[in-house]
Amino acid sequence: MGYVAAKGGLEAILAAEDLVRRSRLSGSSPLLGIDQLQERARLAVDRVMGEAGLWAPELAARAFRQAEGDVVEAAHLLRAFRTNLPRFAMTSVVAADEMVPLRRIVPAYRTPPGPQLLGRTSDYTGRLLDLSPEAPSSELEDEGRSSNATGAAATNGTGSTASGNPGGGEGGLTTHRRLYELLRDLDLVVDRRRDIAAGDDPEPYDITRLPVRPGVPRSARLAVMARAETGALVNLWYRNILGTDMHLHEVTLGEVRHGLLPLPVIHPHTGRPVVVGRIRATEAEAIEDLSGEGRDRSRFDVGYGVCVGHNERKAIAMANLDIAVELDAGKGSLEQTVLMTTDALDSSGFLEHLKLPHYVTFRSMVERKLAVREAAAQKVGDDHEAAPMDRAPDAVLAGEPA
Amino acid sequence: MSLNALLEDTGSADNGYGSGIMDEHTKRDIRRALLSAVAVPGYQVPFGSREMPVARGWGSGGLQITLAIVGDADVVKVIDQGDDAGVNATNLRRLIVGSTGAAETTVTAEASIIQTRHRIPEEPLKSDQILVLQVPVPEPLRGVERDMRELRRMHAEDDYARLWVSLYEDKVRNGVITRTTGYPCMIGGRYVMATTPIPRWDCPKLHQAHHLSLFGAGREKRIYAVPPYTDVEPVTFDDVPFEVERSPGRCDRCGAVGWTESFLIEVPNSRTWVCSDTDYCARRRLKDRRVKA
Repeated sequence: MGYVAAKGGLEAILAAEDLVRRSRLSGSSPLLGIDQLQERARLAVDRVMGEAGLWAPELAARAFRQAEGDVVEAAHLLRAFRTNLPRFAMTSVVAADEMVPLRRIVPAYRTPPGPQLLGRTSDYTGRLLDLSPEAPSSELEDEGRSSNATGAAATNGTGSTASGNPGGGEGGLTTHRRLYELLRDLDLVVDRRRDIAAGDDPEPYDITRLPVRPGVPRSARLAVMARAETGALVNLWYRNILGTDMHLHEVTLGEVRHGLLPLPVIHPHTGRPVVVGRIRATEAEAIEDLSGEGRDRSRFDVGYGVCVGHNERKAIAMANLDIAVELDAGKGSLEQTVLMTTDALDSSGFLEHLKLPHYVTFRSMVERKLAVREAAAQKVGDDHEAAPMDRAPDAVLAGEPA
Repeated sequence: MSLNALLEDTGSADNGYGSGIMDEHTKRDIRRALLSAVAVPGYQVPFGSREMPVARGWGSGGLQITLAIVGDADVVKVIDQGDDAGVNATNLRRLIVGSTGAAETTVTAEASIIQTRHRIPEEPLKSDQILVLQVPVPEPLRGVERDMRELRRMHAEDDYARLWVSLYEDKVRNGVITRTTGYPCMIGGRYVMATTPIPRWDCPKLHQAHHLSLFGAGREKRIYAVPPYTDVEPVTFDDVPFEVERSPGRCDRCGAVGWTESFLIEVPNSRTWVCSDTDYCARRRLKDRRVKA
C-alpha cells in the first residue's frame, strides 16, 4: 500500500524527486545549456512560451530542460512562476502592422502588396532524415557566423536581421500593407472595425485575472487561444473540417507572419512611449468564404490569430477558429469548446489527476453496484415470491468461496 | 531583468517554492470570492483562479483557498481519501507549511484548517475549524446539461426539474438511485450543490454543521461554501430515503463498525476492512490502549 497509506509518504516522494533529479543531471553527455536550447530547440522553447503566455526565452529553456522536454509540463512551470510576478507596467497598444517581419507569406495572391518573404522555414524542403555525419562544432560555428545571423538574432529577439532594419517603434521600412486592407479597399470583406472615436475600444479582457465563460468579449477568446495547447487547437480545427461539427467552411489564408513586435511603455517622466524590448510573435489572418447558410455571399470575413513565438500551426488554427466562433454567435457549442477545453494545463492536469488515489470514490461506486443487484434480486424475489439472493454480494467481493 | 536577479527575488535557484506562492492581491481576490460564497450558500462564485505549483485537478482550488485564509497562528491538516500520509496530501501539506508560517498536524481536533480531498473527518468539527474541500467538478447539473449558459439559467431560476427527472429515471431503471459520490444536495433550500466527490456517508456531516466548509475548484475557477448551521439536504424523493454507503464489517485495526461508525475501505480478497480516516482510526486505537492499561 506504499503510495497511499504508508506513513512514509514523504520519504517516498523525496526518493521519487531524487530519482528524477539524479537521472536528469547525470548521464554520459554534458548537461544541455540554456543557450543551446534557445538556439537549437527554438521551436520547442517558443511553444513553451506560447502555452505559458510569457515571453521569457531563458526561463522557458530552463523550464523545458527541467521538464525533460515535456512542453506542457514546462509551460506549467513557467505559468506557475509567472502568476506571482509583479506587474511593473503595461505596454501601450501595438498595431500588428508594426511587426518587423522575419517571414511573411500571402497564399491568397501571387503578388500581394509587399513581399512574399519565406524566411526561416523548412516548409518547402523535402522531409529527409539527415544521416550525414555530425559536423565538428568548429565547422558549425564558422557556418553559423557566415549565414545564420537571422536565426541567432531572432532567437534573442533583438538586433538587426537579414530582412532589414528593425526600425524604431514607428515601424520603419519593413512594414507592409496587409491583405485585409486591400480587401477592404475592394469592398470585399465584412467591416468589423470598431468606432474608436465613439469610445468603442474596450480594454482587453485579462484572462489571467478573470474567469472566462461563454459570452466573454472577443479579446478573451483570442487570449485563451493565444495560450492554448497547439495540439488542442489543431485538433479542434481539423474536426471542424473532417468531423461532424461543420463550423469551418472554405478558408484561405490572407497573411501568415512571423516577426518582431516592439513593446512600447509610456515613460513615467516624459509621457512618451519608449520601446523597452521586442518579442517574436506569429500572426495569421484567415479569410472565410461565408459559404455557410444565410451568409452574405458577396463578401468575405476575416479571423485573426496571434501567439507568442514562432508557431504557425497555432496561429492559423486560431485565426480559423476565431472567425468560426464569431459566425456561430453562440448558437452552437463551439465557443464553449474553444474557451473551456483547449488549455493545456486544464486538460492535462485533469487527465493526470486520475493517477491520484480514488479508493474512497471507488468504494462508493462498488457499493452502488451491489445495491443495484440487491434491488434486482429483491424485485425477482417479490415477483416470484422466491428466496432472495443466497449469497451476500459483499461476501462474493471479498473472495469468499461459494 | 537578468535571470539571476529574478532567482534572487524568489529565494534561491533550487527552491521552487520561494518565499511565498501567492501574492497579497491574489489572496484578496480569493477572500472576496469566499465572502460572496458564504453570503450565498451553495452558489458557485467565479474567481480568477491562478496557476499553482500543483497541476489543475490536483487540489489547486483547495490550495488557493487555504493559502488565502491561512495565518501564522493556524494549524493545518491535509488529508486525501481521509489519509494524512497520502502522497498528494503530503505534497500539498509541505507546500502550505513550507510557504507560510502555519504549523501542521494530523490530529483532526487540533487543526484550525483542514484541507481535504474526497472525505470529511469522522470526528465532528467544531465552530472554530474550517474545512477546505478540493473540488474536481463543481457543477452538480453537468450530468443533465453541458451548455454553460443554460446551466447558469437553471441555477438562477431554481430550475432543477431535469435533475429530478434524472433521479426518477435512475430509480425506475435500476431499482435504486445509483449516484455514488458528490451527491447533489440542496443548500439552504435554494441552490443545488455538488458535494465534491465525498461519499454519501459524509453528506449528513455538512447539514447544520458547526464548522464552515469552503469548496475550491481551481481548474473550473469556482468557489462555493456551506456556512455553519445551514441546511444541506440530499436531493431525493419523499418516499425514497437517501442511502449512505454502509460497510458490512468492522475496521481491522480499531474495530469501528462500518454500518454505523466509520467509512471503511476494503482490502481486496481478504474480507478485511479498514477506516479511510486514518486519524480517527489511530485515536480509537490509542483510546483502546489507554482503557486496557
